[in-house]
Amino acid sequence: MKKGEKIEPGLAARWQAEREKEWRKALRRQLSVQKRLTIERQPMPEQPPEERIKNFREVNLGYSFELAMAEARRCLDCGNPGCVSGCPVAIDIPTFIKYIEVGELEKALEKIRETNSLPAICGRVCPQEVQCEKNCNLGRAGKPPVAIGNLERFVADYLCLREDRNFQERQVNEVCAGGEKIAVIGSGPAGLTAASDLARLGYRVTIFEALHLPGGVLAYGIPEFRLPREILQAEINYVRSLGVEIRANFIVGKTASLDDLREAGYRSFFLGTGAGLPSFMNVPGENLTGVYSANEYLTRVNLMKGYAFPDYDTPVPRGRRVAVIGGGNVAMDAVRTAVRLGAQIAGIFYRRTRAEMPARAEEIKHAEEEGVKFNFLVVPVRFIDDGRGRLAGMVLQRLALGEPDSSGRPRPVPIPGSEFEVEVDLAVVAIGQSPNPLLIKQLSGLKLGRWGNVEVDYRTMATSLDGVYAGGDAVRGGATVILAMGDGRRAALAIDNYLKNLQC
Amino acid sequence: MNRVLVSERLVPNVYRLVLEAPEVAVSARAGQFLMVIPDSRGERIPLNVADWDRERGTVEVVFLNLGASTRKLASLREGDLVEGVAGPLGRSPDLPVSGTVLLVGGCYGIGGLYPLARELKERGNRVIFLAEARSPAFLYWVERIKRYSDGFVEFFRQDCLEAGEELGGLMARIKREQAEISAILVIGCSYLLFRISEAGARLGLKTMVNLNPIMVDGTGMCGACRVSVGGRTFFACVDGPWFDGRELDWVEYFDRRKAFLREEEKALARVESEFWIKRGERR
Repeated sequence: MKKGEKIEPGLAARWQAEREKEWRKALRRQLSVQKRLTIERQPMPEQPPEERIKNFREVNLGYSFELAMAEARRCLDCGNPGCVSGCPVAIDIPTFIKYIEVGELEKALEKIRETNSLPAICGRVCPQEVQCEKNCNLGRAGKPPVAIGNLERFVADYLCLREDRNFQERQVNEVCAGGEKIAVIGSGPAGLTAASDLARLGYRVTIFEALHLPGGVLAYGIPEFRLPREILQAEINYVRSLGVEIRANFIVGKTASLDDLREAGYRSFFLGTGAGLPSFMNVPGENLTGVYSANEYLTRVNLMKGYAFPDYDTPVPRGRRVAVIGGGNVAMDAVRTAVRLGAQIAGIFYRRTRAEMPARAEEIKHAEEEGVKFNFLVVPVRFIDDGRGRLAGMVLQRLALGEPDSSGRPRPVPIPGSEFEVEVDLAVVAIGQSPNPLLIKQLSGLKLGRWGNVEVDYRTMATSLDGVYAGGDAVRGGATVILAMGDGRRAALAIDNYLKNLQC
Repeated sequence: MNRVLVSERLVPNVYRLVLEAPEVAVSARAGQFLMVIPDSRGERIPLNVADWDRERGTVEVVFLNLGASTRKLASLREGDLVEGVAGPLGRSPDLPVSGTVLLVGGCYGIGGLYPLARELKERGNRVIFLAEARSPAFLYWVERIKRYSDGFVEFFRQDCLEAGEELGGLMARIKREQAEISAILVIGCSYLLFRISEAGARLGLKTMVNLNPIMVDGTGMCGACRVSVGGRTFFACVDGPWFDGRELDWVEYFDRRKAFLREEEKALARVESEFWIKRGERR
């Protein structure tokens, strides 16, 4: 079984049964395939670039009710849907879209939440273009795919925020009062998903979070202009409402060891500790003031609200000429943040070309609209000191694409003698991160891979330690929110099996 | 949220807080630090663990009232809450199995070194404690520390300014009188760490300094605290904060500590204009 493949047996049959229900049949008859094919894909309303570069509010504004209905009608409700096989958490996509079409938004949300506790987040940050939307059958008719992500987000926004306003009054679920105790380490997407699935299965789940706010990379990494904090808060409150307890400022491996938790009665563990270790390039001058890891830069802005300094105490460096090194989503987040913090020039410096950039198409598009300059086939070989320990510029070397490397992408080869200088006063290194070693390095017997990642059996997410499971970036290095959630989901099922077998 | 159980001004600019944090108290060890967040808009700042009480579930910090965050902490009263306490973080230093250890504590570092003096003494080491302060009025915890030291030396700024001994000379004298010294451990301001490291290098003594670079998360996630030791880059929060000061790139260390100097002034100005007024109103 490959990474991110289907979880449960019998799902396809359940989806088919849903599709055969009378209301679905009637709906299909109501509007012919021909008519459905004539509806254009509804564009996502956006804040105009010249406005949004001056604020940290969300760029995508979300569908209105009318836009969502129109988009839902584009879905053909096909007999052999391609979308569902592309979803790492196996959402019954056609069913939730058809519920939108008939205006039953509560039922649509319920359907999504059967397999996904964080729809408002996934609707925003999932790379739908390479997952569900990639295999949409509309493509065969030469049409753009149904905007599944936009619809998911619409349903979630429409209901979750409203629900969240009543959160205080809602009773924390008491079904789990008698269940076994399970510890989830890390409150990022993998941990939140594992925790909510386990709580639904009747376990008493505690999430231990090292930072002072829950959310992991959703809180410290992803900027507010992609994921507003009240949305994140609402989703986390939903997880809490399932009976999950979240302990912030608790660093497992420091505040208490895994063995301490075992002694405190926790029977099984899920390690969702993320990829918190930033990579640097190890070139001269990298420790000058003015050179930051993307993790530091984004954490200052997102988690600590540095953009609101001095109302918030944590400052964030504001550069005039900003260079972000890297070509992934983190690099896009960093460079777009720099634009919003008032940079005169903000540029991406990437060692391959546009075609090889790992960032999502939408992020690249948004960055371009916001005036970000893209520099390809270059790599910094040295950072230049202004004589007082501050960054003044960098020496870049030009590269050419060579033979494919182990990742299948062409290897960038340095061109000798091609070095040149650029003036920059802020550089952000966004070339990737590896699994956070703080906890996993101290667990003796835990098998790690060559990048320091936790080795697991991808079917169950079981590690080499009995009763200890892992998922998300701790396992994958730097992947996506939704793959982490798929891991959390598979691990929850496996933990349930593990504990049931122990009792027998 | 963690409750303040004791808030005390030890000397004119050094404060002590006893905070409720039962899990942290259980795991705290000498030489480690905590991340403390004063309030919901506050920074995460690293403070040395100055003591703990496992039964009562409390930890103590001693800090210099210097910038916006420490101003906020210094103004807390018994019963107030801080936004968060996380830890214990960092590694405790490798302590020599036997022999004499020279502890050098300056300013707030006297508090941070106290648990190390206690641990060393209980392990059977000989402990010489050198306390550095502006003047006798800035010295605190003397009796407490003397209980765990075999020698107690004071060093004041006036000694430096006037005809008195210089730190280097004092160190050499201590080395002569205490032939068995196997290591020096230092907590205090950067300048003290630097000076003692110089002296340690001259005397050929291993000099472990407790670095205090700018940090954000304190758990190895951001790299704000990177330092160069022996030509390699380390994260002070997880690889340190104890390093051999003889091998540190001090120029880089001083530069990086100054990265946000202007912003620090600005934050302090805001806190002083708004925060203290609010405090005044409440009283």
